[in-house]
Amino acid sequence: MQDWKSIAIAKRLGMPESDLDLIVPVLEALDASFRPLIATIPIDIEPSIILSEPAVLGE
Amino acid sequence: MTIVEAAAQLRARKISSAELVSAALSQIEKLQPKLNAFITVLDERGRKQAREADEDLARGIDRGPLHGIPVALKDVFATKGVRTTCGSKIFEHHVPDRDSAVAEKLAEAGSILIGKTGMHELAYGVTSNNPHFGAIRNPRNPGRIPGGSSGGSGAAVAADMAFMAMGSDTGGSIRIPAAYCGTVGLKPTSGRISRHGAMLLDFSLDHMGPLTRSARDAGVTMNALAGYDPRDDSSSKRPVEDYVPAVGCSIRGLRVGWPENYYFERVDSSVRTAVERMGALAESLGAIIIPVRVPDIAAINTVGRVILMSEASAFFDSLGAGRDRFGSDVLSLYDQGRLLAATDYVNAQRLRRMMQREFSKLWDRIDCLFTPTVPIGAPPIGSLTVEIEGKAEDTRLATTRFVRAINVLGLPALSVPCGVTDEQLPIGLQIVGKPFAEAEILRIGAALEDAA
Repeated sequence: MQDWKSIAIAKRLGMPESDLDLIVPVLEALDASFRPLIATIPIDIEPSIILSEPAVLGE
Repeated sequence: MTIVEAAAQLRARKISSAELVSAALSQIEKLQPKLNAFITVLDERGRKQAREADEDLARGIDRGPLHGIPVALKDVFATKGVRTTCGSKIFEHHVPDRDSAVAEKLAEAGSILIGKTGMHELAYGVTSNNPHFGAIRNPRNPGRIPGGSSGGSGAAVAADMAFMAMGSDTGGSIRIPAAYCGTVGLKPTSGRISRHGAMLLDFSLDHMGPLTRSARDAGVTMNALAGYDPRDDSSSKRPVEDYVPAVGCSIRGLRVGWPENYYFERVDSSVRTAVERMGALAESLGAIIIPVRVPDIAAINTVGRVILMSEASAFFDSLGAGRDRFGSDVLSLYDQGRLLAATDYVNAQRLRRMMQREFSKLWDRIDCLFTPTVPIGAPPIGSLTVEIEGKAEDTRLATTRFVRAINVLGLPALSVPCGVTDEQLPIGLQIVGKPFAEAEILRIGAALEDAA
């Protein structure tokens, strides 16, 4: 379980405590469903976004 | 009247573009105070361009089926000299000095832009209850949301204010308003329609597409918009097709995937019945219904939310706007995205690749997938939760449950009207296709429309 409030404070994002109270339960629920998925990723899987040719060419 | 019908009447000189535009503007004047579908209305410019379109047709200059047809753009599409707000206070006075690719191509096709439609703030939400420009209302029931984020586009097409209105779709924002307002909505494959000059909420999930009154009208619009654009890195070089379904098109022999899991769980009974009726109709037209187990859609939705919040918050950071410039729901999502780790974003994109591979195996057995677009009819304006089968569910999560994953996968999907709920609210059938199978899912939609 991540300590979302501490993360917010450490990042100095200026989020009021009352706003954090609202989003922490949402993030906890999202994290609970997301975290187990990470363990299922095979080592040879690359992200679904790639460096585009125009980017490589500096365009 | 549809675009196809209006185009035929224009060429038969039974009607003029000036009359079509005048009728659309009258409808806007009458209904705008009630529905709030538009942020900007281009009355004078629209009438002038309509007169020019009529003169061109009289001289034998015919730009195709959109020539002289009144259309609208969601206010994310940059329009040269016309304010483009993205439904945000940040862009309240933004007047672009060039057109987006979509605006450019629609103008080349001869259509008449009559206005910019309202939307959820920064396209980040599904209600179109905008704190800066006011709530947009559903023409089928003004106490209900039109869905979002392209709510103004859905309302405009459903209420005969425009023949076609463009939307953008990050997690269902074309298909949701189509379903809630009772119109057709097409989210094409990633890379099929250029995103150049449109505000991107999310760099890897955003798609541009039309909301129309028929599948054939969506095909007409696709013919004008689909194709490679070197200004958009995500644009595909794959050749385009003719997207307009033929008269009397057939779906005989088509393999329709019918989900055994996920898509019919926690669904309003009238939605389930309406979608099942469409399955039976497809079968009566010669399609083969094949029960399938779909991969873990809830997991794909989770991955989609991590990607969306990470990318949207990165975009918002770059705007450098203070907290007071955002509405409360968008600010909340912005904050959530800022707390996610970069490693989680990268792993979400790796999971996305994995899930795309797994889902693509379905196409060995089926040609398309039928699902409800949304599990319910349009919720009341302001409701934070909805009740489905006796259980309360977050309105945003319920509304996006069946559509978000399709953006993660990048697949084309069409929502077509397929009935009404017990409360007389429209229901949508979602037809998900193989990559770049827009012509095929439009043909399925047209065949169902013809037979219904």
